[in-house]
Amino acid sequence: MAATSMAAALAASLPAPSAVSAAPAPTYEAIPASMAKVIDIEADIPLTCVQLDGLVVTKIIKHAREAVGATAHGLLLGLDLDGILEVSNSFPLPHHAGEEDEKSAKASARHQASMLRSLKEVQADDSVIGFYQATTLGAFFNQTLVDTQAIHQEKLRHGGIVIVHDLSQTARGNASFRAYRLTAAFLDAYKKSNFSTSSLMSHRLTFSSILEEVPLKIRTNPLLSAFLGTLTETRAGALPSAAGGSTTGSALEPTFSVLDLGTGGVTRNLEQIVEAVDNYRTEEGNLSYLSRQIARERAKAENYVAKRKEENQARVAQGLAPLPEEDVSRLFKIPAEPSRLESLLLLGQIDAYGKSLAGSASTGLVKMYATHAGSEI
Amino acid sequence: MPLGPTSSAININGSTVSDPAPGVPRTPTNITIHPVALFSILDHYLRRTDTQDRVIGTLLGTRHDNEVEVRSSFAVLHSETDEQVAVDMDYHRTMYDLHHKVNPKEVIVGWYSTGSNLNTYSALIQNFYSQETGPHQAIHIAVNTGVEEGQEAGVKAYISSPVGVSPKPENCVFVPVPVELRFHDAEKSGLDLLANTANLPSSTSSQPIADLEIIENAVQSVSDMLDRVLAYVRAVLAGEKKGDPAIGRYLMNTLGASTEDLEKGGFNASLQDTLMISYLANLVRAQAEVSSRLALTAAS
Repeated sequence: MAATSMAAALAASLPAPSAVSAAPAPTYEAIPASMAKVIDIEADIPLTCVQLDGLVVTKIIKHAREAVGATAHGLLLGLDLDGILEVSNSFPLPHHAGEEDEKSAKASARHQASMLRSLKEVQADDSVIGFYQATTLGAFFNQTLVDTQAIHQEKLRHGGIVIVHDLSQTARGNASFRAYRLTAAFLDAYKKSNFSTSSLMSHRLTFSSILEEVPLKIRTNPLLSAFLGTLTETRAGALPSAAGGSTTGSALEPTFSVLDLGTGGVTRNLEQIVEAVDNYRTEEGNLSYLSRQIARERAKAENYVAKRKEENQARVAQGLAPLPEEDVSRLFKIPAEPSRLESLLLLGQIDAYGKSLAGSASTGLVKMYATHAGSEI
Repeated sequence: MPLGPTSSAININGSTVSDPAPGVPRTPTNITIHPVALFSILDHYLRRTDTQDRVIGTLLGTRHDNEVEVRSSFAVLHSETDEQVAVDMDYHRTMYDLHHKVNPKEVIVGWYSTGSNLNTYSALIQNFYSQETGPHQAIHIAVNTGVEEGQEAGVKAYISSPVGVSPKPENCVFVPVPVELRFHDAEKSGLDLLANTANLPSSTSSQPIADLEIIENAVQSVSDMLDRVLAYVRAVLAGEKKGDPAIGRYLMNTLGASTEDLEKGGFNASLQDTLMISYLANLVRAQAEVSSRLALTAAS
C-alpha cells in the first residue's frame, strides 16, 4: 500500500503522464515500472476522488460571480491518475442566449477546439474531463446539466464529472464545490429515453438517485502554497506614499462575513421554493391531464373490443361467420406515456432549495444564540 | 495591502496634479490585480519548459480613470536568445479573441513576466504591448515567484516612459506603480479556503466543509482578538503601558455598538421566525420526498 502511494506521489510530481495516457502520439514512451500500476491507458481503475487545483477554484468562483443572471459553465481540464481525477485547469464557455441553437452549438464547439489547441501550445493540460456549473442556493438540477453530462459520460474517459459550485454559499462565507456524475440506473433509463412510471419503478429512480456524489478535495501546488504564505504574512507597509499614511497588514485580511446575522438571502430562497413548487404543480397538472387522456382512449378501445366480441358471439350463435378482429391500435391512437423526467428534476430542485433553507436557518439559529450569549455578558 | 517586498520608490499621486485635457488617457497611478490572474501566472510558470528562464503573457482587465484593474491573464509563447526575442503574436491575438468572446468587458491592459529583472527585451515587449493597448499605456507586472534563492516572492507593477533624446523601442524607463490584490467580497471565502488548504501539511483539504465548522473558527478567532484587547486594556489600566488614544477611539466605536434591539424582545421574534423557516424547509423536503416515492407506485 505504501509503495503504491509513494508511486502516486512520484507520479503526481511529474508532468509526463499526460503524454503517456492522453496523447494519441504514435510513439509511446515506455511506462516506467514504478508507474505501471498507477497509469491506466484503458481507464480501468475506477475513480475514487476528484482533486481540484487552487487555480481552478479561483477561476470558477470568478466566472460564477461575473456571469450574473446567466448560469456560468465551462470545461474542466486535467487527467486521472490512480483513481484520482486531477483537475488542473478550466476555461469558461461563452454564454449564448437561447436563439439559434444550432449555430451557437457550433460556435461553442469551435471555441472549445481552438481553446484546447491554444492551451496545448503552452504545455497546459488539454484533455477535457468534465464541466463545471455555477448554481445559487443549491438547485442545480436541470435538463441541460443532465443532457451535457449524459453526452460526456459516453465520450470522456471515466465518463467525466460535473463540478457544481454554489454561489450563494460562497457569498455566505463557505466556498462550496461538489463533484457529481450520473448513476448507472439513470443513465440506463436516459439511453432508452424512457421515463414512464414503470421505467422509474424498475430503475428505482427518485431525484436523489439521479446523480451520485464523488468525494472532492482541494489541493494547492507547492508554489501556490508558498505564494499564499507570503500573501497572508503580516508585514509593514511600503514607504508612505504621497497621499496617505503608512499601512500595515497582509494582502489577505481576515473577514468575518460568516458571522453576519443578516437574513437577506432567506426571502429569495423562500421565493424560489414557491416558484419551484408552482412549476411542479403545473408539470403535475400536465402529467395528470395526459394520463387521463390515455385512460380515456384506452377505455374507448376496450369498449370497442368488447362490443366486437359480443357481436361475434351473437353471430356465432346465429350460425354466421365471425367478423375479423381488427387492429385496435390503428383505430385508436393511445398516446405514449408522458416522461416524468421533468417532474423528477423539479422535485430535486425543490428539495435542494429546502435543504439550503434548512441549512441557513440552522446556522442562523446558532449565530443568534451566540449573539444573545454575547450581549448578556 | 502590499503585495511584495517594500520598495524605496516614491509614488506621486496624479490626482492632486491638475487634470490633463479630456480625451488624453491618464497615466495609471494605481494597479489592482485579481487572484485569478496571479494564480494563472504561477501555473504558467510551473508549466514552463526547461529551457525557459521566464514566461510572459497578456494581462486582461478594465480601466477606470487612472486605475487599472487586472482581472485575468493568459500565457503567450515567446522565445529569448542572446540575439533576439520573439513573441507569438498570432497566438496572442487568437487567445485574446477567445477570452473576449466570453468576457467582452475585459481588454488588454498590459503584460506579465516572471522574475524581477527588467532588460532590453522587456522594453521591446513593452513597446509591442503599448501598440496593443494604445492610446492607453501598457502596464507591466513582474511576478517574482521566490523560487530562486535569496529572492522574496512578490508582485511589482510598472509603467514605461521613453528615455533618451530620440526615443527608441529598446530604451525605456520602467516606473514602479503601487499594486494591490483586489477581489470581490463574495470571493473572499474561496481564497480563505485556499489559504487554509495551503497551511495544511498535505496541501489538500476535503470538501464540503460544514457551515458550523467555519462559524466555530470565526468565533474562535474573534474570541482570541477579544482576549488580546482585554490584555492590552488591563495593562493600560494597571499603568504598565501607555494608552494610545487612537486605539481607545477604535475600541469605543467597535464595542459600543447597541444591542438594545436584540434585548427588547427582538431576540424572541427572530427566534420564532427562524424556527418557522426551519420547520417550513423540512416540511418542503419531506413533501418532495413523499411525492417522489409516490411517483414510483403503480397507478392501478
